Amino acid sequence: IDTIRGGGKLNKKRFASSPAVVRPSSGGVHGQRSAVFSREQARQRALYPRTEKIEVVLHGPGLHGTLLIMNKGVSTPHSCARHLTEWHVKSSALALVDGEPWPLHKPLIQSCSLSLLSFKDKDPSLVNQAYWRSCAALLGQVLEDAFKDEYSVELLGIPELPVTSGAFCCDFVLDPQLDSWNPSEESMCSLIRGAQQLIHQDLPWESLEVTPSVALEVFSHSRCKQEEVEEKAAKSNNGTVVLYRCGDHVLLSGGPLVARTGLCSQYEVTAIHRLGEGAWGLHRRAQGLSLPFQLEAHHTVWRKLRSRATKLVSEDFYWLHFKFLKGQCVESCIQILTPLFSCLSSPTKKRLGYY
Amino acid sequence: MRLTLQMLISHGRVARKMGLGPESRLNMLRNILTGLVKHERIETTLGRADEVRFYAEKLIDYAKKGDTDTKAMKMANFWLTVLLYHRFFLLVSLSYSDPVPSTLFCFCLPDFYEYSWFFGSSSYFLFSLWFQEKDLIPKLFKVLAPRFEAQPKGYTRMARIPNRENLDKAAMAVLEYKGNPFPPLQPAKRENELTLINQLLKGYREEQAQQAAAMVESQ
Repeated sequence: IDTIRGGGKLNKKRFASSPAVVRPSSGGVHGQRSAVFSREQARQRALYPRTEKIEVVLHGPGLHGTLLIMNKGVSTPHSCARHLTEWHVKSSALALVDGEPWPLHKPLIQSCSLSLLSFKDKDPSLVNQAYWRSCAALLGQVLEDAFKDEYSVELLGIPELPVTSGAFCCDFVLDPQLDSWNPSEESMCSLIRGAQQLIHQDLPWESLEVTPSVALEVFSHSRCKQEEVEEKAAKSNNGTVVLYRCGDHVLLSGGPLVARTGLCSQYEVTAIHRLGEGAWGLHRRAQGLSLPFQLEAHHTVWRKLRSRATKLVSEDFYWLHFKFLKGQCVESCIQILTPLFSCLSSPTKKRLGYY
Repeated sequence: MRLTLQMLISHGRVARKMGLGPESRLNMLRNILTGLVKHERIETTLGRADEVRFYAEKLIDYAKKGDTDTKAMKMANFWLTVLLYHRFFLLVSLSYSDPVPSTLFCFCLPDFYEYSWFFGSSSYFLFSLWFQEKDLIPKLFKVLAPRFEAQPKGYTRMARIPNRENLDKAAMAVLEYKGNPFPPLQPAKRENELTLINQLLKGYREEQAQQAAAMVESQ
């Protein structure tokens, strides 16, 4: 296929400058990524051949000091919830292990204190943020699946936005053949249907902490993703990168995701905006709005929120909101400063400035 | 009048019967109302609390007129008394030489005279002993009336409580004047501001406010 790329800028960025002919079909790519993920998961599980016990102390309303004896490297906060009641299993979206946010399906590796977080706690800000990230990840997954195999879709990343901005978003780049494509009503509806199908399947978001080399192997077909892996590895404390898998899609995320897709109930893809030419092609931003099953909105309220979510959300204005989130003070300062510094050194995908 | 079946059936009759008769009913309500003004929160049976509510609110309406108003003062004088003893036998000597000890009560209203026994030089009289609460009248005019100046009505609050433990298992209620110094009967439930939907709505409201401000500026 003679693809007319967007000029010299793109060729500079891409290491593999050959066109899309060599690229395998999207189904194959996802299968390969999922296979690497499963292999790494099995390898990490095999590190604990003998069943060792750990003590997990539960904290929460009505649960203070409950002691559970769980298996090391196998038991997850989800399995701890299963020891309690069905309500705990259904409503818990995230867990706090020794004060740090922990995905619900990640195995526990030492004796710790655990508290299960839901959407109706006194302070659900962590859960809200994780939910927003998960909805954006779901949106990315839907977009990857939506287009035919001959058109490539590159997910650029999920900008971290606070909940008050009104919508979650996912930046992506389509095949250059679709540069003139604009989404119609029917295509938006089909995207929403795709998302609803994933929600209905109730797929769990499995997480895995891997070394950057494994992550680079997973994303071997996508240069953009590999750059993101390198960025995240540079930012993290111990140099590892956290991968999340839902169904057979493997993705990166800026923080923990909620337990499973079934937690969302009202989900709509509201708009797809053009951000203009960028490092990888024509950058687009897909926005959506979602609410969990415990906090459903009346249709009048939903309509108002949805009309707000169709407007383009920009991240620069909302960086300051992150200062006041729990335990993210330092991280937010770094996040505020790095875009400013990086725009001096090299153009990153975030510093577009078209809006 | 004709003794019909409709006289015995009380469908649609709204006036309650309390105590021994209409006068007894008013006495009982007077006692309860005095207790309410004194304590600002009392616990009685459901029916009595409901009856007193009307009189409590009317008393406040009279008190709002001020203590210079004669009718208001008459009302306060009438309602803020406590019946200590109802129809007790008092030994009164016929000679009236030794005065009735007045240290116990301010005034004594004879309910009705009845020479039940003629016992030598003394007789028994049936009296009702009333106690006028002198310090509740200023409390009514100086404390309660200014408290409810801004409100047109609705000075009291009634809440049901579990039935009495006695054999009668009477339905009980708590009656209080609003603005009393005690902790609230039913604490107001506040919705959590930090839930996802409330945060989205907060963002929506802020944006609307910004747009409204921008519209005002542009004009």
